[in-house]
Amino acid sequence: MDSKEVAELIKAHVDDVRIVSERRIFTTSDTQRLKSILLALKTAGVTHLSTITGVDRGNAVDVIYHFDCRPAILNLKIPLPKDDLKIFTITDIFPGAILYERDLMEMLGVKVEGHPDPQRLFLPDDWPEGEYPLRKEFKRGSK
Amino acid sequence: MTFVVPIGPQHPALKEPEYFRFEVKGEEIIDLHVRLGYIHRGIERALQERSYIHNIYLSERICGICNVAHTTAYCQAIEQLAGVEVPDRARFIRTILCELERIHSHMLWAGVAAHEIGFNTLFMLFWRDRELVLDLKEMISGNRQTSASNTLGGVRRDVKPEYVPTMLRVLDKLEKATKYYIDVCSSDRTILARCMGIGVLTKEDARKLCIVGPTTRASGVDVDIRRDDPYAAYDEISFKVITEREGDVLAKVIVRLREILESIQIIRQALKALPSGPLRVKVAPKIEPNEALGHVEAPRGELLYYAISNGTEKPERVRVRTPTYANIPSFKPMFVGGTIAEIPIVMASIDPCFACTDRVTLVDSRTGKAHVVSFNELRGRIK
Repeated sequence: MDSKEVAELIKAHVDDVRIVSERRIFTTSDTQRLKSILLALKTAGVTHLSTITGVDRGNAVDVIYHFDCRPAILNLKIPLPKDDLKIFTITDIFPGAILYERDLMEMLGVKVEGHPDPQRLFLPDDWPEGEYPLRKEFKRGSK
Repeated sequence: MTFVVPIGPQHPALKEPEYFRFEVKGEEIIDLHVRLGYIHRGIERALQERSYIHNIYLSERICGICNVAHTTAYCQAIEQLAGVEVPDRARFIRTILCELERIHSHMLWAGVAAHEIGFNTLFMLFWRDRELVLDLKEMISGNRQTSASNTLGGVRRDVKPEYVPTMLRVLDKLEKATKYYIDVCSSDRTILARCMGIGVLTKEDARKLCIVGPTTRASGVDVDIRRDDPYAAYDEISFKVITEREGDVLAKVIVRLREILESIQIIRQALKALPSGPLRVKVAPKIEPNEALGHVEAPRGELLYYAISNGTEKPERVRVRTPTYANIPSFKPMFVGGTIAEIPIVMASIDPCFACTDRVTLVDSRTGKAHVVSFNELRGRIK
């Protein structure tokens, strides 16, 4: 699917759609509508989740899913408020998300509900609870 | 009754530190647990604390072997952020460098794989011929390994016309050698006995677990970023995407060796079609708020850089997803059901490149129980 076809497929579930080129599409949605987007993508034959990015935006954390819709790359942003940093796992629909969700949990402190193996991935076992290296407030040496 | 066999973080079968916990019943592997992070250097955080120019050199050091793929993906993402078009000559030079890197990376891997199955003569031969490619890289970029050629807006060094005859001559030599190696690897009894039907990754698992690169192509998944999301000059060059159906270690060997032949063809075409013109355009140090994605087929598979700018000379965020990170979930289906003797070669078969800090596993010799201790605890015990 190219960017226009992807936009057509998910337009009912997303807010702003920005098509940069035939192969790059950026869009925003929320947790309520995420499931229907994932199912629509799966039904359309998308199988490849390239990765998940977490970005600290001050009062919110943006969770961005990068789907390879071949040839288009869909960048789907889900902003989560800092006082309610929760999102459900997508591993039941895209099993390839398993490590990226663990990464998201330890690096940004986003709670991924229903994750089958919510352990640390990169950080050492004695890393203090509540310290998230990719948060803005994290300072080097604060450990 | 099952036993736990810990492999790593330091182990002769591993070229880099990572911890694998195999649960075995007799000789058979029944479960596997992977622990990453032994060489995690916090580069994603470091990228957002440095300027765009400084980050070229930092991204280049994420991986020693595929440094050109990293800088290509990084520069591509930042050039899209800034809305800059790279000159044609630079696009072709990037293609040549990327393919030279792929050849040397695949030959390095083939040597390591031969060593893992105890075939050290073949290991020496692969690494001898890999020197030819490193010499070419040195000729173009000034360095055998870390080329430092890519920069924002183009490349720093030119492929001079006087280099071309030497390059073509060396490519002919490499082509002949690779054809010979393909013949050896598909007919030698020792290689067949150690690689055929071992560490199989099915097409369904490869798709389901989002596996990338030669590992997924060896399972019959027809995907290659160079063709599907062309960058540099790949949209002006014709080449085949190599796939094999079997998904075993042998298929992964053959896919990589056949990719070397394709890379040689790509370099020949790029040298022939090399346009004249400038090598680079200027990129302003500050970039207005934007987001972009760099996407490259590194030697080990899909490499992705996602960058967000905020109007300053430093990025708001750079996300890097390396191919080996994406391929870690493939270990489980490849190992479970196999035997302990297969561990080194199956582990090597995805061409792992672990770039990811400080812990030790202590195994109690009386009970056989493994216990992970922190660096401070270990230091306490030594005192």
